[in-house]
Amino acid sequence: MQKMSTVKKAIITAICIALCVVLPQAFHAIPRAGAIYLPMHIPVLLCGLICGWPFGLLCGIAGPLLSSLFTGMPPAAVLPSMVIECAVYGCAAGLLMSLVKTRNTYADLYISLIGAMLCGRIIAGILQALIFSAGNYSIAAWTTSYFVTALPGIIIQVVLLPSIVFALMKARLIPERYPKD
Amino acid sequence: MNRLPAGLYQPGDSRLHRLDALSKILCLIILLIAVVNTTTIPGYAVLALLTGFLIRLSGIRPPDALHSATRLGWFFLIILLMNLCFYEPEHPWFSWWIFRPSTEGLMQGVNVVARVFLLLVLSNLLTITTAPLAMTEAMERILTPLRILGVPTDLVAMILSIAIQFIPTLLEETDNIRKAQTARGARFDSRKLTEKANAVLSLVIPIFLAAFKRADELSLAMEARGYRTDVKRSRKKYAPLQSRDWLSMGLCTALAVAYVVLK
Repeated sequence: MQKMSTVKKAIITAICIALCVVLPQAFHAIPRAGAIYLPMHIPVLLCGLICGWPFGLLCGIAGPLLSSLFTGMPPAAVLPSMVIECAVYGCAAGLLMSLVKTRNTYADLYISLIGAMLCGRIIAGILQALIFSAGNYSIAAWTTSYFVTALPGIIIQVVLLPSIVFALMKARLIPERYPKD
Repeated sequence: MNRLPAGLYQPGDSRLHRLDALSKILCLIILLIAVVNTTTIPGYAVLALLTGFLIRLSGIRPPDALHSATRLGWFFLIILLMNLCFYEPEHPWFSWWIFRPSTEGLMQGVNVVARVFLLLVLSNLLTITTAPLAMTEAMERILTPLRILGVPTDLVAMILSIAIQFIPTLLEETDNIRKAQTARGARFDSRKLTEKANAVLSLVIPIFLAAFKRADELSLAMEARGYRTDVKRSRKKYAPLQSRDWLSMGLCTALAVAYVVLK
């Protein structure tokens, strides 16, 4: 199996970080698009799935930071929680992708993706309850903000991310996970 | 369409261009502390004057320097109006239906808008007057302490530098794809939210494919020229900071301390 070089992984990470700035701008015309469609999560999860956990982690940290610096979104008040949440998404997606090997690319992708999405939301909820909104946070608030409001974003991620990975494999821009001999 | 994308480096020989990239980044961080600690109109006025002075010092056309902030004009107006009308005040000017405009709401709106505006313009000035290579070096120097933990700081700095350089390119690419999708019938201007959302979603896969194609080309070009990550990199000695760098950092620190103390 042809592996991706570190240089290519680094460049893909850079592109995904840039997309963390660009993609939310594309959704800018829709009100509250950030909270509903979660455009910044897409490149971070993709980077973790394709490049592995160290690169996913870097993308999750640097993406929101650069976006905040260049566009002011996310605002400074929510930036720390957003950085941690995205870092967990990228890191968990990469880790799960390296651990899960079912010989079926779709299964690997879905298990890693859904696992990463759950990990990120659980850790973000714990941090909200203990640090960022200590004393003012409840299970209901967590469910509402991370699952109900973000439901369109969750559906988009589940439908779109495996399709993007397959489109990239088909275009030979990334190597196949289980190449046919 | 002829306007430069926000944040794109514009070569020049102004005093701001000649400052070391490291000192510019540190000055930006220090000035952001001052911005965050400002809550009064005179405080914002002083920072706005300083920003104006820096724009003049940079030799950049004011519309280019302010572009990243002025394009969010409608967003700022909405934020200001929302704070003015919906902030829960003790003494509203009047109360009608759900609207309760007040001085507190107005000040809250001004606070948010002024902070984001100053943050955008100052960070735009940094990227517009600093060459990407100098930015990479400066980031590498800032990240150096992380080397103790085994973090490959030169690789991280390279990734961040490429990411910054790709932002304007990908924005233009997105604009091109948006036009192509509009020609195919996507309705970005529709008043219906579902149509608008569908139109935006039709952008996502082409954006990713175009971006990854660029990544593929760039990585191939770098590898063909011998760029490797598994060997120890040779490096030049960094030039020490000059008196003008120390002076600018000192002035910014004094200003930030004054703002923190006066708060």
